[in-house]
Amino acid sequence: MSSQAEPAPGAAIQDPGGLAGIWPDGSAPAGLAQLARAQWPGTRGDELPPVAGFVTSAFSPLVAAVADLCLLDYFGAPPAGQAQGERTAIVLASSTGDLGTSAAVAAAVQAGKRVPPLLFYQSNHNAVAGYIAARWGLYGPVVCTMPGSAAGAGRSATALSLAMSEAAASAALLIEDGDADAALVIAANAYLDGGAEGTAMLIGPASWPLAASRPQTRIPQDSPAPASVH
Amino acid sequence: MGVTTAFGRGTGPLLDAIAGGQSAFGQTARFDTKRCRVGVAAELPGDPKLGIELGAVIEQACSDARLDEADRAGTDLFLALHTDSGEARNLAASDVIGGTPAEVGAVTGLSYPARIYVTACVAASTAIADAATMISSGLAARAIIAAGYLVDADSFWLFDAGRTLAADGQVRPFSAGRQGLLLGDGLAAVVLEDAAACRQRGVTPLARLAGWGRAGDGYHVCQPRPDGSGLARAISAALRRAGIDGSDIGYINANATGTSFADASESAAIGLAFGQQAGSIPVSSTKSLHGHALEASALVEFVVTVLSLRAGLLPVNAGFLGPDPACALDLVLDAARPARCQYALSLNAAFGGANTALIVAAS
Repeated sequence: MSSQAEPAPGAAIQDPGGLAGIWPDGSAPAGLAQLARAQWPGTRGDELPPVAGFVTSAFSPLVAAVADLCLLDYFGAPPAGQAQGERTAIVLASSTGDLGTSAAVAAAVQAGKRVPPLLFYQSNHNAVAGYIAARWGLYGPVVCTMPGSAAGAGRSATALSLAMSEAAASAALLIEDGDADAALVIAANAYLDGGAEGTAMLIGPASWPLAASRPQTRIPQDSPAPASVH
Repeated sequence: MGVTTAFGRGTGPLLDAIAGGQSAFGQTARFDTKRCRVGVAAELPGDPKLGIELGAVIEQACSDARLDEADRAGTDLFLALHTDSGEARNLAASDVIGGTPAEVGAVTGLSYPARIYVTACVAASTAIADAATMISSGLAARAIIAAGYLVDADSFWLFDAGRTLAADGQVRPFSAGRQGLLLGDGLAAVVLEDAAACRQRGVTPLARLAGWGRAGDGYHVCQPRPDGSGLARAISAALRRAGIDGSDIGYINANATGTSFADASESAAIGLAFGQQAGSIPVSSTKSLHGHALEASALVEFVVTVLSLRAGLLPVNAGFLGPDPACALDLVLDAARPARCQYALSLNAAFGGANTALIVAAS
């Protein structure tokens, strides 16, 4: 949900749209608000929309889907407004990483078969971040991490929320440092059995205009042309 | 700081290679490349283990920084790592990194990393920028940043499938006739510390991180923006943070991988950021010597930049065949160039349009 907080510039935000809840120490950085939030899976439609050029693994389609839900909620349709897009970073954290792609590469090498070239282009987390950045016109820094705090958390809601906390803290620091004003923060875990779950949150200045509240679990209608997701 | 490349373990062999200008490439001995277009990489001899090698460079960095056990216990470790190929064969794998962080802990006694950076070729420079931000904002007094990659079959076959490896067995950054990149072993670790805290401990720093900047291209999944504007914004942010002008930069350690469009984009970025001065700043990409160490590349190159500043010797841009009009830079050609400079810039760019710029000052 979009934040309803509208404090004075520079004032500490007590709980902007639940932002404080994701911070490890329960506080929220001054001046930042949660502008939009989405999660996958939602209340309907468990099938991840395919993303052109990304195959075999659910990881990148998951990241793209949850990012789209979040940004559609805030911006309505791609691209983001120019002034906001120029100052928006992408911070992606995962406690699994793209297991599907690395397993597919390993299987091809073990079998002595040619590695499908498309796997090269999706072989690190930056690729889908670049896809989102190009689609939405986001020109801030791109950061992809695996949080130490989630190590050993296994397959659990805790792992995802730890990843989100870590990514949000990282994004807030990046914003404070000045290379971005806002960040699309994504936590995404995709498992070898095909399970996939993710959360995305747009955090930015509390002074940015608020989005109208929209249903956040719809599948984007303007997804790129279909490609295979197996 | 600690470093290991195909030239050997420690800063000595790397500095010798910078001075000598010979690349470390040879036929890979670790795995079968019969099905690949290319079989060349820059590798350490034998069968090095990532966790042990990483532990060794971290030990070296902590020892250089005179961090005792208590200092280390209170210091965050930021690791930059590539996907673990052993874990990729584990059908019960829960993540793509596997046991390397735990192995590092066993060697060094350090806690599990606070964060593992997987931002491809800017992973380690992003870790440095994050650590610098934490220190400058008072959230931490110091951080240990480490990164490691050892050439493995999975990534080699993958890069070969992407037709990114140089078929002629040489990396030729910014050169006419360049054919692509070659992979290389690379591990490095540095301790970044608040200058006042460092002085208080009576430790003399090797160099100063004067500025850092990051920006995105918003352009493509894997190709850089041709006009270089994303990387140029990262450079401008780093200069601004350092409080210096472009004319203060005496050397640029470029990201250039030897890839046609990427090197041209980086040249455009240098042109955008430095304007008229762009053609008079010495530039080289040392990937032409030690190869591309993926997630560790930015830290290896950061160490190279520090070594170059301290030695007053700019590394050669090896493999050069002739000028490319799209890369009109003052390249360090033929041999390392003696030069004393106060500031050097280390550039990195990655898939997804991620760009970083780090400015190192002689201490």
